[in-house]
Amino acid sequence: MKIALPIVFVAVTTALMVLALSGAGPARGTVGIAGGWAMYGLTPKASTPQQALTNLLVDVQRRNWDRAFRALSKTSAVDQQGFIEDWMGSNGSLRSFSALEDFDPRPLHMTDDQADMRVYIHWSTPVGPIQDVRDIQLVREGDVWRAVWPKFQPPTVPAEVIPVTYLRWDLVTGSAEDQWGSKNVDAPHVRIISMNAVNTAEGAVVMGEVVNEDTIPAFVNVNATLVDGSGNAIDDESSFDKIDHVLLPKQVTPYRIDFPDIDLSRVKNVRMDVKAALVPASADPVIGVMDQKLDTDAQGKAVLHGDLLNESGQTVNISHVIASFYDNSGKVVWVSDGYVDRALLPQSSEPFAVEIPKSLSGEVHNFHVVVNQYSLGRS
Amino acid sequence: MSTSRSYSRPIPLLAILLVALAVHGPLLLMQLPSGSFDANFHIFFASHYAHHWFEPWNEKWFAGFSQTTYPPLTHQWIALFSTIVGLNMGYMLVQLIAVLLLPVGVYRFARIWVDDRAASYAALGSVFLGSLSFLVYQAGQLATVASAALYLNALPYFYEWMSEARGRSLLKGIVVSLTAAAAHHVTLIFGVVLFAGPVIWTACLDAHDERVSASVAGVLSRAVAFGLMVVAGVAAVLLPYWLALIQHPIHQIPIPHDSRANFLLNSTIAVNYFVIPYGALILAFPFILVRGVSRRFIPLLCGFWLTFIFGLGGTTPLPRWLLGRAYEILTFERFTFWATLMAMPLVGVLAAQLLDRFQAKAAVALSLAAVGSIGGALWWLGANPYRPTGQMNVEPVIAFLNRDGHDSYRYLTLGFGSELGKVSTYTSAGSVDGDYNSARLLPEMTHYGSAQLTNAKFYGTAGMASLRAMLAHANRYGLKFVFVHDPYYEPLLTFVGWRKIETFNNGQITAWSKDDVPPAHQIPSDAIPPPWQGWLWGTLPVGVSFLAIFLELLLTEERPMPVGVGFPAPAENREQHYVA
Amino acid sequence: MRMRCCLVHSVAALGLLVGCVAQEVRVPHSVVADEDASISTSGTGKATFYLVGPGISRRSDVNLGHEINLAGEELQHAGEYFALLCSSDCQSASFFVVAAKPSSLTFLVHPSRVPVAQGDGVSGVALPFDQFQNFVLAPEFVNFQLTAKNGSLWSRSVPTKEGVAWFRTASGRSAGALQVRASLNDVSTLRAVEQVASDPCHLRITGQRNAKGILLQTEPIHDCAGNPVPDGTIVTFTASAGNGKSTVDAPIKQGVARAEIIAPGAVTISAASGVVMGNELRIGGR
Repeated sequence: MKIALPIVFVAVTTALMVLALSGAGPARGTVGIAGGWAMYGLTPKASTPQQALTNLLVDVQRRNWDRAFRALSKTSAVDQQGFIEDWMGSNGSLRSFSALEDFDPRPLHMTDDQADMRVYIHWSTPVGPIQDVRDIQLVREGDVWRAVWPKFQPPTVPAEVIPVTYLRWDLVTGSAEDQWGSKNVDAPHVRIISMNAVNTAEGAVVMGEVVNEDTIPAFVNVNATLVDGSGNAIDDESSFDKIDHVLLPKQVTPYRIDFPDIDLSRVKNVRMDVKAALVPASADPVIGVMDQKLDTDAQGKAVLHGDLLNESGQTVNISHVIASFYDNSGKVVWVSDGYVDRALLPQSSEPFAVEIPKSLSGEVHNFHVVVNQYSLGRS
Repeated sequence: MSTSRSYSRPIPLLAILLVALAVHGPLLLMQLPSGSFDANFHIFFASHYAHHWFEPWNEKWFAGFSQTTYPPLTHQWIALFSTIVGLNMGYMLVQLIAVLLLPVGVYRFARIWVDDRAASYAALGSVFLGSLSFLVYQAGQLATVASAALYLNALPYFYEWMSEARGRSLLKGIVVSLTAAAAHHVTLIFGVVLFAGPVIWTACLDAHDERVSASVAGVLSRAVAFGLMVVAGVAAVLLPYWLALIQHPIHQIPIPHDSRANFLLNSTIAVNYFVIPYGALILAFPFILVRGVSRRFIPLLCGFWLTFIFGLGGTTPLPRWLLGRAYEILTFERFTFWATLMAMPLVGVLAAQLLDRFQAKAAVALSLAAVGSIGGALWWLGANPYRPTGQMNVEPVIAFLNRDGHDSYRYLTLGFGSELGKVSTYTSAGSVDGDYNSARLLPEMTHYGSAQLTNAKFYGTAGMASLRAMLAHANRYGLKFVFVHDPYYEPLLTFVGWRKIETFNNGQITAWSKDDVPPAHQIPSDAIPPPWQGWLWGTLPVGVSFLAIFLELLLTEERPMPVGVGFPAPAENREQHYVA
Repeated sequence: MRMRCCLVHSVAALGLLVGCVAQEVRVPHSVVADEDASISTSGTGKATFYLVGPGISRRSDVNLGHEINLAGEELQHAGEYFALLCSSDCQSASFFVVAAKPSSLTFLVHPSRVPVAQGDGVSGVALPFDQFQNFVLAPEFVNFQLTAKNGSLWSRSVPTKEGVAWFRTASGRSAGALQVRASLNDVSTLRAVEQVASDPCHLRITGQRNAKGILLQTEPIHDCAGNPVPDGTIVTFTASAGNGKSTVDAPIKQGVARAEIIAPGAVTISAASGVVMGNELRIGGR
């Protein structure tokens, strides 16, 4: 008893720990707080390409950069700084705000000494979840597998002077003592130029386009209320981030309003409400959308892709692409959006892609892309 | 008196209390816990009681929630003290009382198993526990500490009642247990199994071995009677809490917490939830295991082991198996605290043996171990990765909300951490966010596996989805102002149509607004307690604590605890060392 | 206001209730605000006089048979006043105080911005008030005058109806400030409406290849009345080639919009601003 019971306690505790280690994966934890590493010997050996990639990504997730870099193949062309920048982004880009939340490695092709893996990477970002797909090559070195990391070429821009004619609107509000009616400035005139409601698997979607008809910038928000047959409101939602909220004079933006879990057959009427307000705004930066093409990506999804070209002299940290798609009668049949996770440096370009539902891709005859942007310190 | 004799005497309880006061008094006077995770939450609740003692419906968080979702005793005591010393010092005073009650409780709890001397060492050791400092100064779990301290004080009465059938012990045991429940419900629920279980088992052993006059059947029947009376009492004292829980059971999507992680797979979490709370106590584990197998210690050892395993969170699957869905709701650092408390009687025995054998050397080593444990926990306050990024001055935010009718709208803070509680305490405006997960009813929060919106980014995709859902319904809730203390959130606010309107503290905090938001209106809720619950909530919990104080003062002990083991005692002769 | 009315009617009802007539009270039919007035009484002896009206409630002891003088300061607010005289019984009467002569004009003009040459694009409403902020209901003639930078557009005298005078007119053909003046006797109020250029007219673009791509530029953009379209207005350049296209939303700066499009092959380029389309341009490959 004197010896047996302590041994039983220790043995049961150890067995439980082993069970936890061999059981389901690690519990969901908070993101970006606790780094740390596993106890020595508890990191599974990289004896398979899948395990090697998993170990690497766990270290990237915990930002254990030294360990992650040491786990790369010696044949990798990247240095540690480039490797970190590849994962962490730079120049205040969306990637630099993001945390690697989850990943799903899958084999593409494998021989005894070489393997190609495709990893679906789930990022948690300030603007919502973003999924990235990356193909990674691994090689066997001795009894372990290691990832071969390609050279990371950070975007660079040549030194140059770009003349800028600043164009911005400031807003001066009158003091409370002003006589009634003496200094009223009307809200900008904006107009919904198209609207379409469709049913999707996720629920009803109301979409269309809005134009600023005025000569001053407008802050725009589109709200929609779904009304049933007896005149009762079913739900009301707003365009949220599926719109470019600040519209310069004569600018057109798509909008999309999602009504999750609502079937359009219940809806008798849609009440639209566009709200516009005066806001200070700037006409810069100008972002061109180059080489826009409808295509199918590596995963077989229908996408509209192209390149964003920053034509100004300032860095755009986060770009948001919103595209409206028209059928051959000019009706807006879908609006989709996507964020670009690399910063747009002055006079440089970055690729983008936004997805179109497969069922609609055949209907799309034309499209219109607008680019919304966030620049650090200028919001 | 020789040195060896001085080491063989028990330390007077008053001296232990003075040590506790000397160690924790200055730290509390410096308001060290005000930077802890939950201090502002407790002060916020207390602030509501200070202004609306009998009205538990609080409009300041979650667009309205009921304070009957959290036992009120510690908050009501803070509210009472706040009328004299203010809310912050009121909190510190109640925390100090809990800290002072703890060694008394440990002493009395340890006396069930060990003699005066070992119990006094256990009590003294409890003052320096890393887990205590962790809960008081880092986690700010005032209610857990207070409730545990009260519960430890109730258990000896329970033992006396079972073994001696003393009516006085029954009365005091029940009233102190109800007071513990009024302070913290979770402690009482788990205390029944983890603390009371070993006590009942020990009483049965004592009855079986005829160390006490009672029979095993008598012990068990009295335990059942005590349990039934406590259950009835807790049901009455916390009736509004149970009604709220029945009406709105916690069906939220589980919120991740690092205390549920596997410590073996993450060194930082292991340090935070294991190394720091246990401190030098880790060195005593072999002794606890070896010495704990003595027949009378086995219940205590089993209780300690089970609590210890629970404290390991996801390091073993046992808590998940035993708790089921509750596993995803609970946090496990409190189990570590309870495990250290359960270990203290055996640690007292270890201290006594070491002092007997090595005297001054042992005294120095034990002192270093004790100081190292509390010192490590205090050092970790500034070194842990969970700490706030820096002191934040939220006064401008409070001033902004309290002027120009801004309080007719609701607000949200982002990146404020526990400072949200401070803003809420001192502003008249309401927030859609809040720092108490179990009180949340808004679907924008309960449908995602995320806690406070102000900390949304730490919950990854779920946290940001919850924040997006709330921002999408800003008009519905009259949410017009967002205060940002972390530039991480600025891109989202920009893209969803919010505009920066003011900057505070040299740009540390920015205020954002949305133009088309109508003023906030009361959100209809079926969770608003009726007035009679407000009266019950405002009288019974605090009333039972006053009753406990009066009983302790009026019905003083006539004799010391009836049992205990003197150490060192050869295992085979230990029965002879029980005092009558 | 509603409170005041209720008070007047309550006191009137009280007067009727105690309506045994032993003395008489005679009030003027109408009094102009801020002018002195008097109320005559009949009978003998002492009585108590009450005056209740908008913004006043007063009680005084009077001798029956004498006139009760009301100072102009007591009658500054237009509306119905009630006089009650009580001795052994009570007698009541009411009279109206009307606004004095206009001393200010509240003038609302809509909109604050208007595209040029827009029919019924500008409207204005004038409301005269006396010096005590009483709304002047008596008919008056308000003169509206619209002036642009190149001289007076029109002037019109409009009578007030129930105290309100208004106009509606087309905006001018030149961009710039449109001054709108409302005058009544020696009172005058000035408002300004900004006339802005209308939609672009004859949007024409030119393009030129350079080392990086195609540099596109509009000719100076004007509306159909020849006003320059304001800077900041977006012009969308679209270059189409094969199954792909490139677009740039460029703001007008200093009268023209410029953009650069990367397109190595032959492209067709068009421009649009709002709903207005420009010319098409074909540029061959490099």
